[in-house]
Amino acid sequence: MRARDVGISLLLVVLAVVAQTAVFGDGRINPFGASPAVVLVVVLACVRYVDPEPALLLGFTAGMLLDLLGGAPLGLWAMSYTVVVYVALRFRNRADDGPVIVGLGVLLLTLLAIGLFIVIGTLFGERFFTSTAVIKNTVIPAAYNVLVAAIVFPLVTRLIGRRQPVGWST
Amino acid sequence: MQSFQRFDRSTSLMIGLLVVAFLLATFDVRSAGGGIGTTMREGAQTLFSPLQEAASAVTRPVVGFIDALSDIASLREENEALRLENEQLQDQVQQFSSLQAELDHLREINDLTAPEDLPTVTAQINSPGSSTLDLVRYINKGADDGISVGDAVIDEHGLVGRVDLAFRSSARVRLIFDPNVTISVQDEVTSQSGLLTGDNDTLILRIFRADEPVREGNVVVTAGSRFPPGIVVGTVKKTAADDTGFGLDTEVEAAIDPSRLDFVKVIVGYSPLDAEDELPVDSGPVDPGPPTGETP
Repeated sequence: MRARDVGISLLLVVLAVVAQTAVFGDGRINPFGASPAVVLVVVLACVRYVDPEPALLLGFTAGMLLDLLGGAPLGLWAMSYTVVVYVALRFRNRADDGPVIVGLGVLLLTLLAIGLFIVIGTLFGERFFTSTAVIKNTVIPAAYNVLVAAIVFPLVTRLIGRRQPVGWST
Repeated sequence: MQSFQRFDRSTSLMIGLLVVAFLLATFDVRSAGGGIGTTMREGAQTLFSPLQEAASAVTRPVVGFIDALSDIASLREENEALRLENEQLQDQVQQFSSLQAELDHLREINDLTAPEDLPTVTAQINSPGSSTLDLVRYINKGADDGISVGDAVIDEHGLVGRVDLAFRSSARVRLIFDPNVTISVQDEVTSQSGLLTGDNDTLILRIFRADEPVREGNVVVTAGSRFPPGIVVGTVKKTAADDTGFGLDTEVEAAIDPSRLDFVKVIVGYSPLDAEDELPVDSGPVDPGPPTGETP
C-alpha cells in the first residue's frame, strides 16, 4: 500500500461528500424520492485497494463527514460505514469474480449500511421507523448505488488500482 | 499467523472506532445542540460550504431538469391547466432571466411579514442534509445575525421548519417533514387543534376529541406553542372524521415545496413561553414539548 493511494482515496471521499450533499441531498436530485449513497460507493471502491486499517479509517471518516453535514446525531453514519467496511474487507477478494458479484455486493452492503443507520438512529431516538418512507429510503438508494458503482469502480481502479488488490494477509 | 494478527488488528480497530462513534453520538444527543458536536459541525460547515455552493451552482440546471423529469406525471396535469392559462397570457412576457427570478423571489421574501410583526432575518439555503433521511437545510445566517435555536423558519408559502442548531455564521433548520418534528396546529375552518407530525414527504395531522370532520382543502395553521400562531403549514389532503371516538388522523399537504426552497425568513425574537397566553383554553391537546431525540 502506498500513502498516495490513501491520499487519493481520501480526496475521492471528500469529493463524494460534496456531491452527496450538494447534488444528491434531500430536495436535490431525488428521482422517486430517493438518491444514491455516492459516498458509500466510493468508499467500497477504495476499500478494494487499500489495506484494512486505512480502509476502516477511511470508512469512519466518510461516515463522520456525512454526520457533520447531516441532521442525525454525530457518529451514526460513522458506525454504520465502519461496520460495512469491515464486512467489505472480508469479502473484497470476491470482487475478482466479476461485475455481477460486485453489483450484488454493492447492493447488499448499501442495504446493510442504511439498515444499520436506521436501527442505530432509532436507538438514539430518531424516528425513522415511524416514517412510511423508510423502505423507499433503503431499497431505492441500494438500487441506485449499483448503477453508480458501474461508473465509480472503474474510475477508482484507474486511479489507485493499477496493481493487484490487497487481501487480508498482504 | 501473520494473517491472524492482521485480522485481530482490524477487528480491534473496528471496535475502537465503533466505541468512539458511539460515545460521540451519546454526547451529541445528551448535549442537545451544544458541546463538541456543534463545534465540529460548525467547522465542517465552514470548510464544506464554499465547495457545496460551487457544486450547487454548477449542477443547478441539471438538478432542475432531472427534478422536472422525475415530476413528469404531475407536470402533465399542470401542462393542461397552463395551456388554458397561456391563452390569456400571450401578451405578457414569460421569459425572465434567472437573476430576475431570484431578485423577485428575494423581494417576495422581503415583503413577507411575520405574524404579529415579529422581527425576521432573511437567509438563503446553503445545502441540504447528506441523504433523503436527513430532512434538514443549512442556511447562511447564524447566531451573529440574531438567530437562535428554536426560531421558526418560513418562506412565502408557509412554515419551513425550525432552527435546531445555530452556529455563528450559519444555522441548521429541521424541516417540518422530519418525523422528529411535532407542531401544534389548528384547522382554520373548524378551529379544532391537533398535532402535526412529519412523515418524510407528507404530514400527518392527528386531532383528538374531534367534534366535526376536517375536510379536504381546509388550511392548517400553527396554533402557537413553539411556533408563532397563524403561520400556514398546509392543506388537508383527505376528508376525515372521528368515527371511533379516539380522534382522527389524516394527511396534510405542506404549503412549501422542499425541492424549491431558496430564500427563507427566520422569525427571531419569538419565545415559545409567550404562547401560553395565546392558546385558547379549550384548544385540545397541548404540544407536549420536544419529543425524544429532537434537538431543541
